[in-house]
Amino acid sequence: MARRLPLALLIALLMCGCGRKPDSRTELRFWNGFTGPDGVTMLRLVQRFNRENPDVRVLMQRMDWATYYNKLYVAGIGHRAPEVFVLQTHAVPRFARARFIRTVDDLIGPRGGLLPSQFDPNIWQTDTIDNRQYGIPLDIWVMGMYYNRRLFRSADLIDASGRPVPPANRGRFVDAARRMTDRKAGTWGFAFTNFESNVYSVMLQFGGSLFSPDGTRCTLNSPENVAALQLCVDLIWKERVAAPPENFDSWIGFRQGRVGMVWEGIYMLADLESSSDLEYAGAPTPTLGSRPAVWSGSHNLCLRADLSPRQVQAAWRFIRFLSDNSLDWAAGGQIPARRDLRALPRFKSMTVQAEFARQVPYAVPMPRVPFAFELQSEFDLAVERALRRTVTPQQALDAATRNVDRVMKQ
Amino acid sequence: MRRLSGYLFATPYLILFSAFLVAPLLYGLAVSLFRWDLLTTRPPTFVAAGNYAEAVADPYFRKALAVTLEFVALATPTTVALALLLAALLESLRRQTLYRAAFFVPTMLTISVAGILWRWFFNTDFGLLNSGLARFGVSVPWLTDTRFAMPSIVLMTLWWTVGGPTVILLAGLQNIPRQFLEAASIDGAGGFTRFRTITLPLLRPVLLFVVAMNVIGAFQVFGQTFIVTRGGPELATRVLVQYIYETAFNNYRMGYSAAMSWLLFAVIALVTAVLLGLLRER
Repeated sequence: MARRLPLALLIALLMCGCGRKPDSRTELRFWNGFTGPDGVTMLRLVQRFNRENPDVRVLMQRMDWATYYNKLYVAGIGHRAPEVFVLQTHAVPRFARARFIRTVDDLIGPRGGLLPSQFDPNIWQTDTIDNRQYGIPLDIWVMGMYYNRRLFRSADLIDASGRPVPPANRGRFVDAARRMTDRKAGTWGFAFTNFESNVYSVMLQFGGSLFSPDGTRCTLNSPENVAALQLCVDLIWKERVAAPPENFDSWIGFRQGRVGMVWEGIYMLADLESSSDLEYAGAPTPTLGSRPAVWSGSHNLCLRADLSPRQVQAAWRFIRFLSDNSLDWAAGGQIPARRDLRALPRFKSMTVQAEFARQVPYAVPMPRVPFAFELQSEFDLAVERALRRTVTPQQALDAATRNVDRVMKQ
Repeated sequence: MRRLSGYLFATPYLILFSAFLVAPLLYGLAVSLFRWDLLTTRPPTFVAAGNYAEAVADPYFRKALAVTLEFVALATPTTVALALLLAALLESLRRQTLYRAAFFVPTMLTISVAGILWRWFFNTDFGLLNSGLARFGVSVPWLTDTRFAMPSIVLMTLWWTVGGPTVILLAGLQNIPRQFLEAASIDGAGGFTRFRTITLPLLRPVLLFVVAMNVIGAFQVFGQTFIVTRGGPELATRVLVQYIYETAFNNYRMGYSAAMSWLLFAVIALVTAVLLGLLRER
C-alpha cells in the first residue's frame, strides 16, 4: 500500500488539474530581456495590466539578452513564439525579414489610440521598413554623459553659484578632462566605457556614417570616421586625459569616483542609483565634431505574425497600456519614446532622464542592417585595435571595411 | 538466445545514443553542405563543400584555430604534469582524503561560478592576484594584454580542472604493486629512478587515457574564455568553439557553423590519433 501511495497522489493531482474550470481569459505570453532591475519595473506594470483587464492574462518571461534572441528565434521556427515580445532596434530588420512580426499599420491611428505624431519621427522610423510599421517603440536608450560632481568641484569646473558645469563642446570637454586627470593618483578625466556607442557618436558628430546613402557600400573608413577615431585615440595617448583601454575597468572606475566623465546609455542609471556615495549627474553628450549627434536605440513592442483577431485585440490593448504608462517605466531609469509623455512635469522631475532626453532630436541608432551582429563585432574590433595602438585608425577601419563589404556580398 | 538478450539490454541505450548523438551528428554533416541563413525566408541552398572552402580562407577561422591550438599546447602538458605531480605527492601521504578533496572541489564548480570568480581574481586594479603582487611592485595585465590573456586562461583552467586527472592518476598509482618498488629499492634505486623506470611505465595506460581526454577537452574549450574574456582582447582568446557559437547563434549561419564544427572534429580526431600512436608504441 505504502508503495502505491505516491502513484495514487499523482493521479489525484492530475484529476484536480482536469477538474479546473476552462480559463476564458485570453492568454498573452510576453517575452523580453529585462533581467535587471528593469524587469521588476516591467513586472509591476504587467501585474497592474492583469488587474485592470480581467479578460486578459499576460504571462511575462524574462531572459538574458545574450540568449534571448536565440530562444525567440527557435520558438518562432517552431510556431511557438510568444504573442508579444520586445525587440531591440538592431534586431527588428532580421526578425521582420524572417516574417516573424505582424505589422501594426492597421492598428495605429485615432481608433487604435496611438498616433505616429506622439513619437519623434527619427525614433518612429526605426521600426518602419518598406513603409510598414513593425512595432511600437517603448523607450529610447540614448547615450548621454554621466559626470562626477565632486571631481568637477575640485577641478573648479563650476559656475558663479558653485554648481558643476558639464562641458558641451570639444574645447571645454578636453579642458575639463585635463583638469580632472591626475595620473599619479589614478584619476582620469574621461574613460571609454563602450566602444560602439562612444566612438560611433563621435563619428556621427564628425559627419561620418557607416554606409553609403544607397546602403550598398560600407564607408567605415571614410575620412570623417578616421578623423573621429583619431581624436578618440588622441584623447588617450596624446592629450592623455582618457584612461587607456587596457588595464582599466572604466565603468567600475567611474563608480569608484576615479573617472570624471563617462558616456553611457540611460540604462546604466539604475546601476548608479544603487551606489550610495557617488555624487553623479547627467548631461547631454558633448559635441566633439561639427554637429550634435548621439548613439541610441529603442526597445520595441512587437506582435507575433499569426495572431487570431481576439489575440490581436488583447495584445494591442496591452501594448497601448505599456506605451501609455511608459512614465512608470521611465521612473526605473528609461526615457519614454512618447513625446507627449516627456512633456509632462512628472518626466521633467526625473533629472537625469530629462537631461539625456534633450538629445532625442538628434539621436541615431546603429544602421539597420540584416548583418547587425557582424557589423558590431567588426566595429568593436577595429576600435579596440586602434585605441590600443595595435594599428593606426586608418588601418583598423580599412580592414573592418573590407570585412563588412565581404559580409554584404554574401 | 543469449546473444539476443545482450542486444536487448543494449537497445535502450542504443536508441538514445542514436537519437541524441548519431542522428544530430549526421544532420550536422548534411547541414554543413548547405548555405542556410536562419533569419531569412530564403530556403537552404546546396553548396557542396562551399562552407569548408570558406572556412579555410576565413581569417577569423584561422585565427580561432590558432588560438585553440595555443590553448591545447599550453593547457594539456601543464595539466597532466601538475596532475601527475599532485598524484605522486598525494600517494606519499598517509591521510589523503582532505587533500584529495581540496584539489577535486574546484572541478565540481560550474564554469559560470569559476569564471566569474577568476575574472575578479584577474582584475588589474583590485584583483586578488595583483593586490598580492603589489607588495613586490608588480602589476600584471592578466586579461587586458594580448600576450597575457591566454596564459591567464590556462592558469585558471589548471585550477579548475586539475582535480579530475589527479584522482585518476592517483588511482593508477595505487594500483602499482608495491613489490616492484620494494625490489627496486633493494637493488639500490633512488626515488627518482624508481619513478622513472617503474612507476611511469606501469602508469602508461592510465596516463594515455588522461592525456587523450585532456586533449579532446582542451580543443573544446569554450566556457573559460567566453565568461572570463569574451574572446578578447583583440580576439586573442576567441577559440574555435566560441567562433562557431557566434556564427550559429549570433549570425544565424547554420551551414557555415556546422562545417566549422566538422573541421574541428577532424582536427581533434587527427591530433588524438597521432598522440595515441606516439604514446602507445615501444
